[in-house]
Amino acid sequence: MASLRSTSARILGASRPAFRIAAPVRGFANLADAAQESQTASGSESKLKTFQIYRWNPDTPAEKPRMQKYTLDLNKTGPMVLDALIRIKNELDPTLTFRRSCREGICGSCAMNINGTNTLACLCRIPAEDSAELKIYPLPHTYVVKDLVPDLTQFYKQYKSIKPYLQRDTPSPDGKEYRQSKVDRKKLDGLYECILCACCSTSCPSYWWNSEEYLGPAILLQSYRWLVDSRDERKAERMDALNNSMSLYRCHTILNCTRTCPKGLNPGLAIAQIKKEMAF
Amino acid sequence: MIAQRLGTTALRRVAGNPSAFFTNNFAKLALISPLSNNTQTRPVTTQKLTPADGDSILAKQRLSRPVSPHLDIYDKSQTYFGGSIWNRITGSIFSGGLYVFGSAYLIAPLVGWHLESASIAAAVGALPFALKGGLKFLLAWPFAFHCLNGTRHLVYDLGVGFQRRTIVQGGWYVWGASIVGGVYLAFFL
Amino acid sequence: MASIARSALLRQTAALPKFSAATQAIARQSAIAANSVRATAAFHTTPQRALLPPLPQHVDGSVNDPAPVPATSPSHGSYHWTFDRLVAASLIPLTITPFAAGSLNPAMDAFLCATILIHSHTGFQQIIIDYLPTRRVPRTRKLFTWGLNAATAVVGLALYEFETTDVGITEAIKRVWSA
Repeated sequence: MASLRSTSARILGASRPAFRIAAPVRGFANLADAAQESQTASGSESKLKTFQIYRWNPDTPAEKPRMQKYTLDLNKTGPMVLDALIRIKNELDPTLTFRRSCREGICGSCAMNINGTNTLACLCRIPAEDSAELKIYPLPHTYVVKDLVPDLTQFYKQYKSIKPYLQRDTPSPDGKEYRQSKVDRKKLDGLYECILCACCSTSCPSYWWNSEEYLGPAILLQSYRWLVDSRDERKAERMDALNNSMSLYRCHTILNCTRTCPKGLNPGLAIAQIKKEMAF
Repeated sequence: MIAQRLGTTALRRVAGNPSAFFTNNFAKLALISPLSNNTQTRPVTTQKLTPADGDSILAKQRLSRPVSPHLDIYDKSQTYFGGSIWNRITGSIFSGGLYVFGSAYLIAPLVGWHLESASIAAAVGALPFALKGGLKFLLAWPFAFHCLNGTRHLVYDLGVGFQRRTIVQGGWYVWGASIVGGVYLAFFL
Repeated sequence: MASIARSALLRQTAALPKFSAATQAIARQSAIAANSVRATAAFHTTPQRALLPPLPQHVDGSVNDPAPVPATSPSHGSYHWTFDRLVAASLIPLTITPFAAGSLNPAMDAFLCATILIHSHTGFQQIIIDYLPTRRVPRTRKLFTWGLNAATAVVGLALYEFETTDVGITEAIKRVWSA
């Protein structure tokens, strides 16, 4: 069995204590420990923060949604809101439900409304300086599946409706890739990085009032991504699909979308470019 | 120990005393009967559902879902409330006022009102200065705001000024300039 | 019904492992919060705030069907938008001129009035399209649309009257303003 250990571990192993104590007790972020520590004043003091989180249970649909408070010691919690949510789920309330996956801001699962702005929980730092309560809601004006989980079915259906794939009849000239100049490839920067988290669309009041017919900034950004792709050959059809009173032109340049995008993209600008291209 | 885990003892016992029930249901029994008697079995009842059944259950669940809060909780300092809706409100005030005035002007002779410019000017002139100034500010500020914010929107339509900082700063400039403009128009013109 | 739900919630919170008195206090707190669920009103959309409260969720077709693409209609789409922007852009010099030049000759004044009227009309149209979806309130939407058309016609007539029998908009505003 010792041969399974790497050389360095075997060499250094002698310097480690022969009897290894069990892993240290994980610091639970509950109030009793926090109070004890602050009383004894040994080591770090506790920094408490209260979270107000939107709760609704589909198993008891007659109950109206409510806000529930949880208090955590920030000194024992990771810096991001998602760390706090996971800690709450682990230690305080296992019934708290939310979507999460990559914890690094690339999958778009943990999109929610934190302190009034839509963002990704894994990228949103907990404001540790002030002791105000942190309010967490699901994405605005969406149907709530449970707690912080929104139903994004309409969003995905709208994404499918813009045909987000390359449509091309002419084969490439040399039979290999569909080539694209660097200038043309640069036009896609700021468009292809969208992770479809739905933060922007659910921040747009026009999308709140007209989500069945207005496509919303995220989908329109992707429409523009395909409109402006030099390899795509269906530009006219794509523009025709947008040329009605609702799909594109419910945008009144409110610009909540650009302000809220957690990836720093600019849906407002993309929509303005679409309108300019379609103007004449 | 290992023999127990592999069930060889059990198999040997069974081989000696075969039973029809056992042979017929071997597969099922292998799945449900434990090799050791320490675990609990919880018999579970299952119900067959077609995909259509599943869809209808989902449709029923969807009907009771609430809609997450929007206007109440969304940050009011963002552009939608800081600027954009005020453009609509100020525009509606002016256009609404124009429409009301227009209709009133047309029916004025029938009803006996006097809405000619001369009579309105006389009525306004009779008001005290502060009230006049206040009323004029109430008209001048929305006018200034709508003009400035409208120009800002036209600039957006050209595709200019979409960086976050520009949007936020532009919003503050328009508010400041519209208040200054309103005061100037109301009191100094 | 709610009482059953309440007791279920209580059982849920009570089932949490009891580390200490503090966690118990939290559990009691959330239980109390659960108890007061009936007392708390639905906070997410107060009735007076909601213009048209959203309907219960209904998905047309399956989740794999794309959303329907509306028919192409440039007169409601891109031409409308371009026309709107041209009118708005022309309003900028038209509004500045009276301030700069003092007053307008009647033809320019009439042009200004007409442009303001068209701008108001398209503005109100957008408000109606935004807040009165055909799917939800088809008759109200139709009523308001035709009402707007009628109102614009009436106000157009009124402005014509004002221009011809009275002094014109710019002059009138000037007189009222400096009264």
